Amino acid sequence: MKKKVALITGITGQDGAYLAEMLMEKGYEVHGVKRRSSLFNTSRIDHLYQDPQVKDRGLILHYGDLTDSTNLIRIIQQVRPDELYNLAAQSHVAVSFETPEYTANCDALGTLRVLESIRILGLAEKTRVYQASTSELFGKVREVPQTENTPFYPRSPYAVAKLYAYWITVNYREAYGMFACNGILFNHESPLRGETFVTRKITRALARIKLGLQDCLYLGNLDARRDWGHARDYVEMMWLMLQQDKPDDYVIATGEQYSVRQFIQAAAEELDLPLRFEGQGAEEKAYHGDTGKCVVAVAPRYFRPTEVDTLLGDPTKAREQLGWTPRITFKQMVTEMAKADLREAERDSMCRKQGFATFDYHE
Amino acid sequence: MKSALIIGITGQDGAYLAKLLVDKGYRVAGTSRDAQMAHREGLEALGVAAQVTIHSAALTDFRGLWQVIEKAEPDEVYNLAGQSSVGLSFEQPLQTFESVAMATINILELLRLLGKPIRLYNACSSECFGNAPKPAVETTPFEPRSPYAVAKAASFWAVANYREAFGLFACSGILTNHESPLRPSRFVTRKIVSTACRIAAGSGERLSLGNTGVIRDWGWAAEYVDAMWRMLQQDTPRDFLIATGKSYSLQDFTAQVFAHLGLDHTEHVDVNPGLYRPTDLLESRANPSKARELLGWQATMAMPEVARAMVRAEREHMSAKENRT
Repeated sequence: MKKKVALITGITGQDGAYLAEMLMEKGYEVHGVKRRSSLFNTSRIDHLYQDPQVKDRGLILHYGDLTDSTNLIRIIQQVRPDELYNLAAQSHVAVSFETPEYTANCDALGTLRVLESIRILGLAEKTRVYQASTSELFGKVREVPQTENTPFYPRSPYAVAKLYAYWITVNYREAYGMFACNGILFNHESPLRGETFVTRKITRALARIKLGLQDCLYLGNLDARRDWGHARDYVEMMWLMLQQDKPDDYVIATGEQYSVRQFIQAAAEELDLPLRFEGQGAEEKAYHGDTGKCVVAVAPRYFRPTEVDTLLGDPTKAREQLGWTPRITFKQMVTEMAKADLREAERDSMCRKQGFATFDYHE
Repeated sequence: MKSALIIGITGQDGAYLAKLLVDKGYRVAGTSRDAQMAHREGLEALGVAAQVTIHSAALTDFRGLWQVIEKAEPDEVYNLAGQSSVGLSFEQPLQTFESVAMATINILELLRLLGKPIRLYNACSSECFGNAPKPAVETTPFEPRSPYAVAKAASFWAVANYREAFGLFACSGILTNHESPLRPSRFVTRKIVSTACRIAAGSGERLSLGNTGVIRDWGWAAEYVDAMWRMLQQDTPRDFLIATGKSYSLQDFTAQVFAHLGLDHTEHVDVNPGLYRPTDLLESRANPSKARELLGWQATMAMPEVARAMVRAEREHMSAKENRT
């Protein structure tokens, strides 16, 4: 039987890496789009890489960019994918307030370019499309928990761009009969999460603080509550959506909610870092239980112009129709992330002791 | 003297709004992609072409927009520009997004950067609601069904976000269809009126239409621009749904137009499935009571009056043309 072919935009990201690995295990020929950069940006999929000399490669990378229509059309024409996963995006909410036009170009227009490429190449019948939508669409939530029927209230340029992408995906499904689905994913984390996203920022910083590589972790709104799942669980559901008889949109969430503060506490506990929280709002700080040093502090510069206070998903539809439930618990996820970051910190610490340069990589 | 900048001044709404603001004593400037090549017919028809300054500006050119704002020094900016045809948006979805949503983001960013107390009106559309068998209100969730409507929904939320995030005085008017003799003939109302008038004059042609079962709320553009202005005179920026509150089918509109000309539309109309859109709204209904209560605005013309006024204007236009030749 001929191998199924998948194309992943954003393959170098957290979800792209997990999805590529899962699809390769399922026997897919996986193609990925990566942006050209003067720095290597494929560390997350390094373990999957296969040299171009290898026959019947399972993973093939293409240079590309969602802001370039000609490039997308050419890649899709070459690959003729059975399944296309559009995961590429400027995915940082806070950064979108700084780069709203770029965010709209990648996240909103990028999605349209992908859909149009498929249509113009006559692949509307062949290629199934997964669109990475987001719980940020719910923003200032109109009901709790949020389902597929909860009206949107986007609160950032990122969410507004993703709102466009969501509806244009629905429109192409209705107007042209494309098999196109939105996965409205709530936050999903892992050791592969980008270092500037709050969960990874926390586990990485606490591990480095523990080993004396960093003094203090500065964060924004500690009261923000999110529904955090594990990315490895969530990519499976992306695939499941495209295996159904009919295209549809699904909320993917755990149905459980924790605050940023609770995430810090869980990570600190995992790292045996005793913390004592004091103060409130912008004055809130956490001190090391033994040394008394301030190790976590609120920095108002991380507050967003418009905050999303609470997100909590109701994954009933996904459970009933896709037979999907998340397997990895919040605690297990935090443990995995903290352990991985502790290992990296240990490596840095060891290198430093031996006189080799390591990088702190500040934001 | 107050100053206004109308982005997209050469369109139907731009011309009517320019007229309204000039009459109110505003200094009015506008933008068009190429000021020297701009279509001034609408402004001329309303007798205000000489009173407005037109600057060249591409909507997605941040620097260019900035320059225009520096020159015009507006107290109020009205963003009316953008690809405005639902049908064309299926052919040109990218351009539609750029001219509708990207342009709005650009304008919002510019106002954020300038930090001046400039008020912004953004033209949104009842197309955002999708099918609305029950009359939509401002809080009805959007379900856009065309690339045009999806782009307008994004622009609506960008405005709301910048208002909340940065305290801009920015609001969206969610307008239902609004017509006038300045509508270009690719819009179905004007097409029906123009063709019917030519048929009445003996052209012998047929009128070819898509889905005539669609239901819309048609208002009169000159009245709608007054609502835009009122929105910017409030103490608090809010979004408003602007509509007549009465919906009719396209069939009804067609029948009215032909009846005004003493004709039976059933004898002159062909339905052409080729003109159907990939996804179309069957029913669009709206409840403008918030605008009535807070803006003191109410439409006096609904579809029957709109149809009559458009027919009258078309006939005057035709006889004026005849007199010239």
